[in-house]
Amino acid sequence: MMSAIIDVDNLTKSYGGKRGIVDVSFQVEEGEVFGFLGPNGAGKTTTIRLLMGLLHADAGTARLAGLDCWRESVAIKRFVGYVPGEPSLDPNLTGGQILEYFAHLRGGVDQAYLKQLVDRLDLDTSRKFRQYSSGNKRKVVLIQAFMHRPRLLILDEPTSGLDPLNQQEFARMVKEAHDEGRSVFLSSHILTEVEQICTRVAIIREGRLVRVGGVAEMKDIKRHEITITFASPVPTEAFRPLSDVVQVDAPGDGRTLRLMVQGSADAVIKAAARYSVVTLTSHEPSLEEIFLRYYEGDGKDAEVRNVV
Amino acid sequence: MWFSSIYLKTLRDFRIAILGWGIGIGLLVYIVLRTVPSLTTTAAARASLIALAQGFNWLAQPVAVDTPGGYATFKYGPTILLIAIWALAAGARVLRGEEERGSMDVLLSLPEGRARLALEKVAAIWTALLGMAVLIAVMVYAGGAAVNAGFSFADAALFSLNLILTCGVFASVALLISQFTLERGSAAGLTGAVFVVSVVLDMVHRVIPGTDWISGLSPVYYYNLTRPLVPGFHNNPVGLVVLVGISVVLTVAAVWLFSGRDVGAAVALPKWLRRPERAVRAPVALPVNAWSLRSIYARSLGTIARPTLWWTLGIAGFAAWMVVVVKQTESQLVSIAQSSPVLKDFFSALGGSSVTNNASILSALFAFLPVALMVFALTQTNRWAADEEDGRLELVLATPEPRVRVLGGRFAALATSTVIIGVVTLMATAVTSALSGVRLDGGNLVAASLSMIPLGLLVAALGYLFSGWLRTAIDTGLLSFLLVIWVFISFIGPGLNWPDSTLRISPLYYYGTPLLHGLKLADTLGILVVSAAALGLASFRFARKDIGR
Repeated sequence: MMSAIIDVDNLTKSYGGKRGIVDVSFQVEEGEVFGFLGPNGAGKTTTIRLLMGLLHADAGTARLAGLDCWRESVAIKRFVGYVPGEPSLDPNLTGGQILEYFAHLRGGVDQAYLKQLVDRLDLDTSRKFRQYSSGNKRKVVLIQAFMHRPRLLILDEPTSGLDPLNQQEFARMVKEAHDEGRSVFLSSHILTEVEQICTRVAIIREGRLVRVGGVAEMKDIKRHEITITFASPVPTEAFRPLSDVVQVDAPGDGRTLRLMVQGSADAVIKAAARYSVVTLTSHEPSLEEIFLRYYEGDGKDAEVRNVV
Repeated sequence: MWFSSIYLKTLRDFRIAILGWGIGIGLLVYIVLRTVPSLTTTAAARASLIALAQGFNWLAQPVAVDTPGGYATFKYGPTILLIAIWALAAGARVLRGEEERGSMDVLLSLPEGRARLALEKVAAIWTALLGMAVLIAVMVYAGGAAVNAGFSFADAALFSLNLILTCGVFASVALLISQFTLERGSAAGLTGAVFVVSVVLDMVHRVIPGTDWISGLSPVYYYNLTRPLVPGFHNNPVGLVVLVGISVVLTVAAVWLFSGRDVGAAVALPKWLRRPERAVRAPVALPVNAWSLRSIYARSLGTIARPTLWWTLGIAGFAAWMVVVVKQTESQLVSIAQSSPVLKDFFSALGGSSVTNNASILSALFAFLPVALMVFALTQTNRWAADEEDGRLELVLATPEPRVRVLGGRFAALATSTVIIGVVTLMATAVTSALSGVRLDGGNLVAASLSMIPLGLLVAALGYLFSGWLRTAIDTGLLSFLLVIWVFISFIGPGLNWPDSTLRISPLYYYGTPLLHGLKLADTLGILVVSAAALGLASFRFARKDIGR
């Protein structure tokens, strides 16, 4: 039976009168790669900073490997690697100096592994931090988070600013950590990234956890907007009854249909093939759009639905 | 309204500085104006004052020092130009600071030309200086009116205008230098050096006859051509014109360079001015193996090393120079002091005895050393608060270093620096006194040099304590305010016959006169205990607070 490496129970934090997070509860099992999704300002960073013992909770508890995040934060940090959302380091140190400094503060790290990480992310360690691009700054903090092979990685929007090649390399690094039985908790507002890397996800909105579940179970919130332009007008009724079609609109002259598909697009493609298609585009809505659509209304759907 | 233009937004950023510096400087002049009548109650006192002032001609030319306006102008001399520190800091950061923060890119995405943007920023600096000038003028006039000083509001306004025009020159110098540096700190530091050199250059013609052309290279020289508070002084408008001219030329040059260079880059210097280029190296292989990266303490010490060097040179150099000056002017100072009740009071308050020998004169001059050390501690404490505010502590606190150890490491580095400054000051003074033949008690010299260290630690500990609740700007402002109040209480309070209970509010009181009377062990330990308590509270607070940006 797996044990929880992260155990958050009714965690609440406000900043004066301003909302931070409210009654957030979830667990992450040892060895999991857990995604923490939410739009900007939802409370992802607040939750992460509470886990790191940088903030003191107003109510509730957060435990990492059974240790209290506030009272036993020093012990916790021995087995945690952390990437903050907005990395800020001494601008006058080079990347190499920063990595050496943090290696010392951690009591030393495997130099060969450190060099390997530097090579993998292709970081020039001789440049000063202030001279780095945002992507290279992100590489420095990613390397310092991974370099001591932590049991748990807590990463706040870790790929922000990274180019696609380095995003892929990062995904491989996370996979390796996962394969070695280490746990990863990462926040993001990019659904596809989380989908690709994580085994389970939680969604937070306006400070409250609205959903926790496996990635597969989350597919039901993933909608595609398919826009098809036909050579001549087509009846919308031909598409409304199709499986997985949520909504059909026919703006303009009736030659263009805009379909909202939740799940497989197979039926839509087959139905469209019966007509003369001029163009077909598929657009995956942003997480913000999904939230606006999926959780709009009276908030009834916003209750926590723990799928697993 | 305040966010409707770059000019107004920049001016809004200066609002606290306008009030702080304007009221602060105005208050200083006001207080001195009010005290003048008590210094010149008798003809003998008046004569002594004039004689005393002549002894300090090298610092500021004494003209009609027995009048309120003349005395205030002489008393502050170049020190009133400390307000230029704000101006040069503003000039250094107004463009380069935005570039360092990365916000310049956003500003330049607005449909506004670079020159326009730069000029709006410069206009905000000048408006802020004018705001300060208005406050200073009002308070100077009020101080003069209270003692029937005989100068009009127009004179007070001209005094303030002259002051801020000089500040404007140093703001323009900083603005220009910041086009050649990548950091606002470097630009401010270099301009600070220009400021110090300017003050010294201005002194030259008062010490060495026929060297007006050398002093003419300094903006401070032109500042001194206009002294509207001094009765009968012939104000030379050329001074004002030159100050305006320098500012305009430097500002135009800075704006022109800013308009033509890469954002975030520096203007390339001519080859002969560049540092020799290092051989191209392959990217540094890990590890770097630098001593300064081995712990928080070592890292903090590495960061503070350069400012410590400069402050050590300044403080120890000042102490050594004082020994030389005292030796050279010993007989003159002693005779002037012994004939002057005012000077006797001055030395009694600061030096701890009437002037009979060079040790007692030095004792008074040594009172400035702990103040300098406290200012050093203040500037370095500011970094701690800024690092937390800028998020630079977040990753350090994500390592298994306890918060208290992080704070302790930083404080220990600052404590090390203050000890180094104290010890080097001791060594410099001892060597200089031996070489120049000034006889000083060895034990007392040790006490005078080392007992200022607890005062530096006290300021540092209070800064760390305040940063537990306050943002950097307010923390620094509050600490600066306290320091000014303490200096005022200790240096001016005795002259105003304030009660001992009031004088005891200032920590400088507990420094005493160690050069004459040795170490006041109980007082020194008292300061250390208060410092330790403040540090303990700061640690307690830091261990429990939210780490925020």
